[in-house]
Amino acid sequence: MDADALAAVTPGRPVGVAIVDDHPVVIDGVRAWLATEPRLTVLATGDDPDEVLRAAPEADVVLLDLRLHGRVVLDKLAELSAAGRRVVVYSEHSDPQTMLAALDAGAVAFLAKHEGREHCVATVLDAAADRPYVAPALAGAIVGDSRPDRPVLSDQEREALLLWFQSMSKASVARRMRISEHTVKQYVDRARIKYTRAGRPAATKAALLARAIEDGLVRPEEIGIYRSQASTDWPTP
Amino acid sequence: MSAEPDTARNGRVRRGAIPVPRTPEMADEVGAGRAAAAVARTSDRGARIVAVTIALAWHLAIGLPAVLAARAELAVPQVVLGGWLLVASAGVYAGIRLLRDTPLPAPPLAGLLLAVDVAVFAAVGRPHLFSPANWVWGTLAWFLVVVLWGRPVRWLLALLAAHAATALTAVALYGATGAADLARSAMALYGTSSLPAAVFAGATALAALSRGRAATAVTANALVADREAAERARLDRRERLALVTGAAEDVLTELAQGRADPADPEVQRRCVRAAGRLRRLIAESDDVPHPLLHELRAAADLAERNGLPIDLVTVGTPPPLPVRVRRALADPLTATLADAQDWARLTVVAGPDEVVIGLVTPDRAGTGATGPPPDDGDGQVEHLDERDGKIRWTQTRWRR
Repeated sequence: MDADALAAVTPGRPVGVAIVDDHPVVIDGVRAWLATEPRLTVLATGDDPDEVLRAAPEADVVLLDLRLHGRVVLDKLAELSAAGRRVVVYSEHSDPQTMLAALDAGAVAFLAKHEGREHCVATVLDAAADRPYVAPALAGAIVGDSRPDRPVLSDQEREALLLWFQSMSKASVARRMRISEHTVKQYVDRARIKYTRAGRPAATKAALLARAIEDGLVRPEEIGIYRSQASTDWPTP
Repeated sequence: MSAEPDTARNGRVRRGAIPVPRTPEMADEVGAGRAAAAVARTSDRGARIVAVTIALAWHLAIGLPAVLAARAELAVPQVVLGGWLLVASAGVYAGIRLLRDTPLPAPPLAGLLLAVDVAVFAAVGRPHLFSPANWVWGTLAWFLVVVLWGRPVRWLLALLAAHAATALTAVALYGATGAADLARSAMALYGTSSLPAAVFAGATALAALSRGRAATAVTANALVADREAAERARLDRRERLALVTGAAEDVLTELAQGRADPADPEVQRRCVRAAGRLRRLIAESDDVPHPLLHELRAAADLAERNGLPIDLVTVGTPPPLPVRVRRALADPLTATLADAQDWARLTVVAGPDEVVIGLVTPDRAGTGATGPPPDDGDGQVEHLDERDGKIRWTQTRWRR
């Protein structure tokens, strides 16, 4: 259950992506978006996650449509995440509950389908590096999270998420908050990292958290309940 | 219900013609419980006046002259008179609060009455034990009724029992245990307690009845209003779906037949608009929309029908908000939206203690009046309007 369970992405080799969707036209569209980025390569596509991953076991990132053949596949998402697959969920169901449930199940990122064009490439690249990418719709879901056991965010983190959700422009958020764009991204990403402690444990969450600590985005004591990667059990808060 | 005409959906729409479901909001804001309590309070006002009048009139017209006349023969006249004064002032205080619908501190007042009861029995002396100078026989029960108004009947019965126990103990201690004295005590207690108890119980029962009836009526009205609003919302949504489907069908058909060119910016705009509308319809999950969301949706629809691609994303459900606050939240945005061009993004993030609405449009510096400063809903709503060269950012924020 630790971060090392995730296969490291080899530097210099393009990131391998698997696309799971039951609409061929969507697969073609996503493929077209990803084709604009030489650091990405699509290894396999299909409408069954197991088959797709059998065809491309070395895929670094799985782009998963949350609704396959009329069923919301949160359980499959949890299974893949627990097995160390970096799953980026994209869905036309961009209601906050679904997005938060996807994070809880271990998704590395969530993209609303209409955000795909602008955010897909960046999301997949960050996912491959175990770094968070928070698209505006997800920022809205996090800032509006009213569940009693939600992670506690700082005022700055909430404000950055809120303004990012409203404006979809980090440059504008930075001007508005009178901070740098880099700091805006830090606030947003830190809020996202706090969600690695919500829901059931997953190797992908551990990896996100470990990378965030490595990057200096959060300190272990800020998360409060983080334990060494050597620990095999996942402490529940 | 709103009386605005349904012309809102036929082609171009005027701003004033946006239908708003008002009744559910009224139900929200008033609430069955509060309405019922108000009805109950009003309906037993007469009984309260009667109780207060009897208690004070008897106290003043019968109790006081008797005490004054027998002053010289009382064991401790100061205590009997002081007790009378204390109860008179407590009665006036309780009466005023009762008639003004202000809550009464019943336990301390009842405690005071019982203490005075004991003191007066002790201080009145054997000769005047049964005379009118022992005023507690006559008026204490009525004062108990006044201070306990609106409480359960068993409270009154318990305190009347305590009063009876005090009286009988005093009678026994004074040695008035002859058959005639005991009969007199029983008669006095029965005579002075039964009427207050009956008035109290009757008033309580009537208040409960009218409360129940009012609550039923309010609930029924709220149900009817909800149903009407839901029906309206459904019709509204169906009409919009028809509109969107029509628009999407047209552009898709033209694309399929090769009559429309995907590279044509106008065709692209039509696709964007149709997709945006469909997305908004999919996102609507509430049967009876909150009046605030309803207003914003109507404004978004209006802007869109004027050719503006617009996204409306809501997170969370706003709490019931006074009309003033809702206006202060929505008006600056609907005004800005009327000026918007190219695209707009309208977002709502709502929780029980905070509602933030944001509108982002491309910044077209130098154009678009911001309008007069809006009513700020008693300072609870903050309004920001910023341009940074790229976007114009209008935000209203309400905090509890």
